[in-house]
Amino acid sequence: MKKTLAITLCAAMAAGMIGSYTSVYAAEADPAADESVAKAAEEGWEIAVVPKDSTNPWFVRMDTGVKEFADETGVNCYQIDTGTIDATTQAQLVEDLISQGVDAICVVPVDMASMDSVLQEAKDAGIVVIAHEGADLQNVDYDIEAFSNAGYGAFIMQNLAEAMGEEGLYTTMVASLTNGSHNEWADAAVEYQKENYPNMQLLEENPRVESDDNGDTAYNVAKELIKTYPDLKGIMGTSSFDAPGVARAIQELGLQDKFFTSGTGMPADNAELLKSGTLKSLTLWDPAQAGKAMVDLACKVLNEQEIAAPVNLDVDGYTEMTFREGSETVLEGQGWITITADNVDDMGF
Amino acid sequence: MSRKIKKAFRSNEPYILIIIVILGIFIQIRSGQFFTGNNIVDLLSALIVPGLFAIAEFLALISGGIDVSFPALASLSAYATTKMLLDMGYEGNVIVPFLIAVAIGAVLGAVNGFFIGYLNLNAMIVTLGTASIFQGFMQGALRANQLSVIPSGMKGFGTASFITATNKVNGLTSILPYTFIILVVVCAAVFYLLRYTIFGRGIYAIGGNAQSAHTAGFHVERTKFLIYIIIGMIASAAGVCRVCMMQQCHPTNMLGMEMNIIAGVVLGGVALTGGAGTLTGCMLGTFLIILVENSMILLGIPTTWSDVFVGLVIVIGVSLTAIQSARSSKGKKSAAKGEA
Amino acid sequence: MAQSLLKAEHVKISFGNVHALRDVSLEILPGEIHCLMGENGCGKSTIIKIISGVYQRDGGTVEFNGQKLDKITPIDAINLGIQVIYQDFALFPNLTVAENLALNTELASRKKTVSWKNVRKIAEEAVAKINFQVDMDQKVEELSVAQKQMVAISRALMSNAKLIIMDEPTTALTRKEVDALFKIILKLKEQGIAILFISHKLDEVFEISDRYTIFRNGEMVAAGNMKELDDKKFTYYMTGREFADKVFVAENVSDKPVLELKNLTKEGAFSDISLTLRRGEILGITGLLDSGRTELALSMFGMLPADSGEILKEGKPVKIASPRDAINCNIGFVPEDRLSEGLFLTQSIGDNIIISEIDRLKKKNGLFDHKKRDEEVEKWVKELEIKTQNPDNPATTLSGGNQQRIVLAKWLACDLDVLILNGPTVGVDIGSKHDIHMVLQRLAGQGLGVIIISDDLPEVIQNCSRVLVIKDGRIKSEYDTQKVNEKMIIDDMM
Repeated sequence: MKKTLAITLCAAMAAGMIGSYTSVYAAEADPAADESVAKAAEEGWEIAVVPKDSTNPWFVRMDTGVKEFADETGVNCYQIDTGTIDATTQAQLVEDLISQGVDAICVVPVDMASMDSVLQEAKDAGIVVIAHEGADLQNVDYDIEAFSNAGYGAFIMQNLAEAMGEEGLYTTMVASLTNGSHNEWADAAVEYQKENYPNMQLLEENPRVESDDNGDTAYNVAKELIKTYPDLKGIMGTSSFDAPGVARAIQELGLQDKFFTSGTGMPADNAELLKSGTLKSLTLWDPAQAGKAMVDLACKVLNEQEIAAPVNLDVDGYTEMTFREGSETVLEGQGWITITADNVDDMGF
Repeated sequence: MSRKIKKAFRSNEPYILIIIVILGIFIQIRSGQFFTGNNIVDLLSALIVPGLFAIAEFLALISGGIDVSFPALASLSAYATTKMLLDMGYEGNVIVPFLIAVAIGAVLGAVNGFFIGYLNLNAMIVTLGTASIFQGFMQGALRANQLSVIPSGMKGFGTASFITATNKVNGLTSILPYTFIILVVVCAAVFYLLRYTIFGRGIYAIGGNAQSAHTAGFHVERTKFLIYIIIGMIASAAGVCRVCMMQQCHPTNMLGMEMNIIAGVVLGGVALTGGAGTLTGCMLGTFLIILVENSMILLGIPTTWSDVFVGLVIVIGVSLTAIQSARSSKGKKSAAKGEA
Repeated sequence: MAQSLLKAEHVKISFGNVHALRDVSLEILPGEIHCLMGENGCGKSTIIKIISGVYQRDGGTVEFNGQKLDKITPIDAINLGIQVIYQDFALFPNLTVAENLALNTELASRKKTVSWKNVRKIAEEAVAKINFQVDMDQKVEELSVAQKQMVAISRALMSNAKLIIMDEPTTALTRKEVDALFKIILKLKEQGIAILFISHKLDEVFEISDRYTIFRNGEMVAAGNMKELDDKKFTYYMTGREFADKVFVAENVSDKPVLELKNLTKEGAFSDISLTLRRGEILGITGLLDSGRTELALSMFGMLPADSGEILKEGKPVKIASPRDAINCNIGFVPEDRLSEGLFLTQSIGDNIIISEIDRLKKKNGLFDHKKRDEEVEKWVKELEIKTQNPDNPATTLSGGNQQRIVLAKWLACDLDVLILNGPTVGVDIGSKHDIHMVLQRLAGQGLGVIIISDDLPEVIQNCSRVLVIKDGRIKSEYDTQKVNEKMIIDDMM
């Protein structure tokens, strides 16, 4: 019961998000208005953001967010990186930052184990440590996750349901049946559908198929599914290769506006599919927002502000952060976004 | 007549063909969708890239070697080509990308060929090593990540329809892209090379007995060197086909294909020890693997069990063919004795 | 004197520190049949490989047809008209008979493409020359040894050969086939083709050769007209030693048989074979290549279990359905093809020796006893005079005779009651052959029952106490070797 409530809550918020994405700064999401952020700007606290690497467009986008945050608020924050995805050089970079005496380090770790021991040194030196996508790290003040697995799964289902007109037969696709998060997303999506879309049915004969994280496999599997089950109307994708691969099959088979898919996907890679209408929407989280949220949280911790759920990090999708069940450091938001033909070119990655 | 048939059944091909037909009938019964134009076109289109790879691997195996580097090699040459043309803003037709990729493939293949042919090193070890190098080069020097846009000429080639099959019942339309012609041309060229050129017969001879080939006057080292260049060229062409068909270039998603390709080729009766096997068998074996991989859902095999099923087909297929070839060679030996 | 066809003088070659050829000379006249003889390891094979371009010599001169040759490649040699039939035939097992026959010709013609019609034509012509009947579309790996050799010979006759080199061509041939081969050789001689015949069987080369050259330890020790060579001189030149071959007389023969066969039958191979073997005896079994003698040997060792009939060991019926059963009955077997069946060629000499008794080389705690192993290896290397510097070297480093001794040692290490040998001295040189015979005779004297299966009649007559002749899978006759001659046996075989 409680779980259902939580999902419904998430969904309600997500529904709001879809409409509100384009207006980036809603009233409750203005970091410049936050007292801790203002204090940070005033004190000139130095906050360093360490991504996995800088050439990946994902982190270029994160850098954009961090720069924006600095410009808007005057906080001394910046992104610094090693240029290659390598756990050792990333650890060295963090050590350098410790010896430089920065006030806070925000990190997206390459390798949990090796990063954790370096972060111990940071904490010993009194430096505030905020992580992103590092829920297993011990030596952090907080870790920010864009969303809970259950919340994101429900969000993908909303997008798929919208495309399908909230009716018809669908199935789910994951990279592999052993992939943890993909399967949690898919489970949550199915549960959400059962609660909210009575006219949609899960394909019981084949409720979950694999794409091997490979667009070509997703394409072939989709074709096979469509052949086998003439009534099938939609596929929910999880890995970033699923929905785009399915879309290729839709395109080839001439099923545009008859067969639908939605799921995680990178904007630039799929711009054409979105614009042609084969693909109605993709779901994602925005690294720029995550970067901003990390810096904002660092300001709050430095200012010794009390961190109690729901935490408002003054960034869209991160305004109602709650602690992961059983954790005191992992904060989960609702930082998912929908990519459509309209906003795909604004993302820059 | 009956003698000819008997002879044919001494080899692997008819058995693989029978397995394919039985499986096809079975799928037809389960789903009613096997013998439809669009399904056959789907399978043929799924065969294009693995088929080209299989031909390349076939050459390596026949010569008594093996190549596990072709996915990395194909990825590297296709990626480098696409990236270069994108950077140049190339707008022309598809011939240039193929030429560039095949040239890069020849150079990379020459690396394999040099170590295997001239330095006489173990082909498995060499290609394992070069696979890592090719992959590392892509990540390190080229900083490869997915290219979501490819030159228009390549895209046009990959999506243009050579054969379009529409299923009248459900209205599904599958297209067979022009890349299929490349598979057919390469297949024919390799068939001709192996059957009608001295060089090709030399590949068989080397695979059968390299020492004898040397004494007979074959340039064993040079032949091996050239084989791996040809393999590099075919694999690279396959890489470009893949990019064209997917309309995007992903640097790593071909990696790992080598094992199922080798399994398919061996399934078709090509000996891992070299020298024995036919191109027909190689293509049939590969087609069987593709058929199984792309018919799990039609067959109604739960996703949980699909890997088990693919594995079973490989093991059963290889055992069947091994048993029958052992039996037939025994039969022939005693026949030979009888004549003597 | 006629101008020589091939004249090699002072040829030297070494591999690492080993001087394979110190200083050898070889002269062959046009259209003659020349025999090159020598024990294994004397350099016979090496000089062939130099002449045919496989190895490059370190020193000396080679002239062919009056033309000085600096560097010879295999293709050069073929183009000059030098053809070699190697002991392993150098055939392509995976290709058809037709292609094996035609490939060299096609290659030598420097064509780029293959015409299968032409291949067929070339192949038909090739076999016609020696009147050899064979299925052209059969793969060579499916042929018998004799058939393979015929293919190799036919192939060599194809190109316009001026010199055909045959490396031990008669080894695996039956008498009938040898006669056929000699007819062909004489015919070739008439056409002016010179033959270099490499052998160590004097009786054979005597029959056919005009002149001879003998090598020993990488040096030429003698050359001359065949007529001037006799048995004694031959043996001396070959080995540098003088032998007195001892005719075996069985002593200490046990009363009770150690092994008995009763009506043993194997469909399609042999039928109704009954025999008895007593300790101290050496029993010879002879017959043509396809008489069923090899199958009988395999059945006695469990590799080809018989369909019906009985095997009795020490009077008790035993079931021998696998080599393991045979070993458990203390029966050992030295196969014909020691290379593929009897030895692990890439493993060390020592490991090959102890492989059959490995179960017994255990310490009390069940672990492998390395000290005992080394003692055992040392003992047998010494006992059988295996010529090696280090028993840890792989078995491939040994000559044929020494390899055969390892196979023997392997079995003797197991305390056998019965030892079955199939063609024990095939491909073994004269010195080693003598030594192996002496070992067998001594072992029989110590109470071992020995069965020798061989078509080398002098070997059988000299070393066995009794001989069984097998024809078409049945025992045709049995003789006391003291009262038989080769002619009688041959008449029964045919």
